Amino acid sequence: MTTATEPMRPMTSMPCLICETQNPAESLVCTNCFAPMALIQEAVAQDRDPCIVTVIGDSNVGKTVYLGMLLDMLSKRADDFDALPKGAYSVNLQHNVISHLSARQFPPKTAMEVDQWLWAYYQVARRKRGARIYDLVMPDMAGEAIAAEVATPRTFAVIRSLMEKSAGAILLVDGALAAAGSPQPDFFALKLISYMDGVLALKHGEKLDTPVAVVLSKADHCPDCFENPRLFAQTNLNRLWNICETRFRHYEFFAASVVGSLGYGTDEYNNVIPYPLHVAPRGIMEPFEWVLSKL
Amino acid sequence: MLLTKIFSRHKPKPQTGKRSDKKAPLPASAMGTDEFVPAPREALDADPLRRLYQQGRFNVILNDEALWRSHPGGAAILQEVKKELEQRMALVPAGTVGLPQTLSGQPGGPEKEVEVAPFLLCCHPVTNARYQRFVDAGGYDDLDCWPEEIWPHLIELKDLTGHPGPRFWRNGRHDARMADHPVVGVSWYEAQAYGIWIGQRLPTEAEWQMAASWHIKSSADLMRRFPWGDSLDITRCNIWSSRLGTTAPVTAYAKGSAPNHVTQLVGNVWEWADDEFGVTDDAGRAIVGEVAMHVVRGGAFDTYFETQATSFFRTGQLALARPLNTGFRCAMDLGDAPWITGG
Repeated sequence: MTTATEPMRPMTSMPCLICETQNPAESLVCTNCFAPMALIQEAVAQDRDPCIVTVIGDSNVGKTVYLGMLLDMLSKRADDFDALPKGAYSVNLQHNVISHLSARQFPPKTAMEVDQWLWAYYQVARRKRGARIYDLVMPDMAGEAIAAEVATPRTFAVIRSLMEKSAGAILLVDGALAAAGSPQPDFFALKLISYMDGVLALKHGEKLDTPVAVVLSKADHCPDCFENPRLFAQTNLNRLWNICETRFRHYEFFAASVVGSLGYGTDEYNNVIPYPLHVAPRGIMEPFEWVLSKL
Repeated sequence: MLLTKIFSRHKPKPQTGKRSDKKAPLPASAMGTDEFVPAPREALDADPLRRLYQQGRFNVILNDEALWRSHPGGAAILQEVKKELEQRMALVPAGTVGLPQTLSGQPGGPEKEVEVAPFLLCCHPVTNARYQRFVDAGGYDDLDCWPEEIWPHLIELKDLTGHPGPRFWRNGRHDARMADHPVVGVSWYEAQAYGIWIGQRLPTEAEWQMAASWHIKSSADLMRRFPWGDSLDITRCNIWSSRLGTTAPVTAYAKGSAPNHVTQLVGNVWEWADDEFGVTDDAGRAIVGEVAMHVVRGGAFDTYFETQATSFFRTGQLALARPLNTGFRCAMDLGDAPWITGG
């Protein structure tokens, strides 16, 4: 029996899976990186180590839509996968994306504030006896935050932690913009990979082991992407192509699109608003399957 | 009586492309492989009337019926032509359709009411094999089939090897294994040109919706969400959830036919309609494409949302787009088939 004079028991704490900060057990989110503590509790409850698979890329490249669509397709047992969300918070991302797309709208931009990001923790396996089970942690990071961290390292410590712990990465590059001749996708990818180089402290000539699937997004705008993503990248994203060859041991190029047809309207301030007129996902599963095969 | 007679003609063939059927190959380009079996070239008859018959240009023959009647063997061929058209086309009765005018297309939202006169619609989308005849006949060089505004772009309407033809063909040939699949990778202009070449036309959007929703003029004010009824059934159509992942032969999914045995109005491939696509947001502001868009209807094998593969869902595609999931079927006015109406 405890008495009023006895000292309180010290609060149990738990290290964050992402940034390793010790957090009080009753915290809802990590005090440092804002990862949901439910995710950490779930991870602790599993026997397997979770794999972090990051979906990275520039702002407006389609990371949220790609990730939401991927999770929804996994939930619908696409390509014979079984996917179990670990916690209701894991469903929020796909719920948000699917609700918007089915209403013929794009989801709002991911907020730059880390505490607003949505995280997904899924248990994924092929639907066959003895198939390996993957505990996947996939955060939806804001492109602006990635850009800020790349430009000024340690602005967003959580991104650095995620990169360090990432077992695999899906790097989205705007295929439509690249096809239109813009150098922006090439330069951003170049910066991002050089940042990864720094984070993982690779020496010259040493190649990164983390598998990286380079996905040419919005490929419905440039059918050539689908016909031969490698050739497209070599031709239109030559800087990215070269650095992948130099710095990655495992990398592959893919093309993906979610929208079957795009319309444009305006809002009350005459800003142009794109509308997904109908949805026809293509090439969503392949990069994910490839990354999984390399884990 | 007439309806019963016409509808009963179109007894569908046994279903060959059910959900459990072996997966049809994707076009070689889509698979990222070089596997491709070029369709053999069809030998054409030297006789002009027989050649037109062979090419399936039945309405072109009928346009000159009086001329061909005196041609050797003409009467028999004319009879065959009418029989073929009766087999291939189905009557869609008169009715009224409401075309949603806003992007959300919510029930009760603004609609444009359109009266549809009875017309004939092809029971199946145009196949690769049929479209091959158009390509082989030099259809891409026949300027009579193309509106003048598209002439400068004709040179861009090439296949993967730079020959005139649908985008995923090679050397002007379709993959022989896909002969009975709907032709895809064709723009709205190519669909329209084929229609002109065979003497038919694309259905209007209202006609298409009439055929799919079956909102005929009757005491029962019924409108179907799907050609077969009101509930989605993925064994009756080829959409993303059907898990085929590619096109099916045009005779597949017979269980999903409309009452007049028109198949695959929902699923398999989006179908070009004749109209330009126009829609607004809920505040009435126009939503447009980068360039002119034309209506496509019905959803395709890769349509993810079931709500986007219904009789009512309206969407558009750039007129010059040549997607992997878009084909077409043809229509004709009932007045052009007087032997059907008894005229």
